[in-house]
Amino acid sequence: MIASVGNVLVWMVWVGAATACLASGIAVVTLTNPFFSALGLIGNLSSLAVLYLLASAEFVAAAQVLVYAGAVMVMFLFVIAYLGGRADAPWAGGSKLFRIAAVVTGGALLAETLVALLWKSSRLSHSAAVGPTFGSPAEIGRSFLTDHLLAFEVTSIVLLVAAIGGVVLGIQPSPEEETTA
Amino acid sequence: MSALFLAATTEPWWISLIKAAIIINIVLVTFAYLTLAERKIMGRMQLRYGPNRAGPFGLLQPIADLVKLVRKESFFPAAAIDVLYIFSPFIAAFAALSTFSVIPWGPGWHIGGYYVTGYVANVPIALILIFAVGSIGIYGFIVGGWSSDSKYALLGSMRTCAQLVSYEVSLALSVLGVVIMSRSLSLVDIVDRQYHEWWYLPYAVPQFVGFVVFMLAGTAETARAPFDLPEAEQELVAGYHTEYGGMRFGLFTMAEYINLITLSGLAVTLFLGGWHIPGPWLQAYGPIWFLLKLGALIFVFIWMRATLPRLRYDQLMRFGWKVLLPVATLNAVITAIVVVAV
Repeated sequence: MIASVGNVLVWMVWVGAATACLASGIAVVTLTNPFFSALGLIGNLSSLAVLYLLASAEFVAAAQVLVYAGAVMVMFLFVIAYLGGRADAPWAGGSKLFRIAAVVTGGALLAETLVALLWKSSRLSHSAAVGPTFGSPAEIGRSFLTDHLLAFEVTSIVLLVAAIGGVVLGIQPSPEEETTA
Repeated sequence: MSALFLAATTEPWWISLIKAAIIINIVLVTFAYLTLAERKIMGRMQLRYGPNRAGPFGLLQPIADLVKLVRKESFFPAAAIDVLYIFSPFIAAFAALSTFSVIPWGPGWHIGGYYVTGYVANVPIALILIFAVGSIGIYGFIVGGWSSDSKYALLGSMRTCAQLVSYEVSLALSVLGVVIMSRSLSLVDIVDRQYHEWWYLPYAVPQFVGFVVFMLAGTAETARAPFDLPEAEQELVAGYHTEYGGMRFGLFTMAEYINLITLSGLAVTLFLGGWHIPGPWLQAYGPIWFLLKLGALIFVFIWMRATLPRLRYDQLMRFGWKVLLPVATLNAVITAIVVVAV
């Protein structure tokens, strides 16, 4: 009885989050005001976090909200608000090559999803068994430092390079250099 | 079903609901009387009485303020984007109120055959959850300032945004030492381990640097003096809520004060032993000790506001990035080395 009530609840949350995810994704690409698009992206990332939560990955869900929906999107909004996005004309679209590439990539992703759904549907129809510690911070930390150590370290180097690049780009030339240049 | 839901439902769901209702109301009353306490204490520090007309000792002042705000006309600028303008205060207030659900305030009691725990939810990732919800609350301030179509409000929300993002890093790094020492992100576990593993000593003793960084970054994070740049009246009229009036303005103020209460509650939980007092006695009165420690910390915040002048904007940014962040990072690294070595 309790399990079935729980299942119904999980289904309701899943349907709500999945709908919000799709709707906000469509809103991101259709809205012409960049500020609203950014808000749509925040909604998209947040509803993805709910889906992670349903997949027993609560640490990933919280990190998703904290890092992407929180810190990263704040920067987006900051820049858009500074540039005065409200008065901007909607983007007229890039070259024809871009459009073709976008359609091809989108079509490939759609085909991939359909293939995965139709051919492997027997594997997707029941949930995989996960241990009680699955998705806990300790478990994620352990797999970072054992199974995925190389990827983890390479990522940290990439982040370090990005940080140094940010500093180098942000350095303003001193007045003497400006006059000599 | 995920572990998060299971962890939250170890007792009948309606008990959690009742506790949540009680906690929210306690926090709201604390907020209302915090505004009065702040005005009273600052008044005394500035050799005046503070509000003393509404009721005995001015004790009905918060209620009078509430009635005034509710009865005001809720107008908004003609060019404001009304959906965002109206919803922003709600987002800010919701994020502020919901974080209090994972802060423990007592040992748990047997009441009428049920065991009632001293927290609304014991989430294994409580600390990250608080920061995540807090980062959503920032949107209330930014979107509110942007959508009200006013230069001052926009500048105020830009400042709020830059300041909050800058100091959030130091705030998160300052609690890392506590997390390393307690080996847990659950606030219930952290309170437990301070009591059981450290001879009743709170983490403020071994993590003194972390505690100081947390308090400084927290002052900036709640935009309190001397870091109240987002609301510098002489420069920005009022900040991101310049165009707000009535209870919408009240909701923003509520969010700010409740953020202050939550931050103090978090400091009590992480660094001051939570609802425990040192020693083996009188632990059943947890909520009283929690409230006393909370009151002491909030008094310190009010004291700072009455004492210190506001920083300049470049000083604020320099202090955050060049002093607070390196100190917090060093503290976390040294704590990690010591914990692994010992």
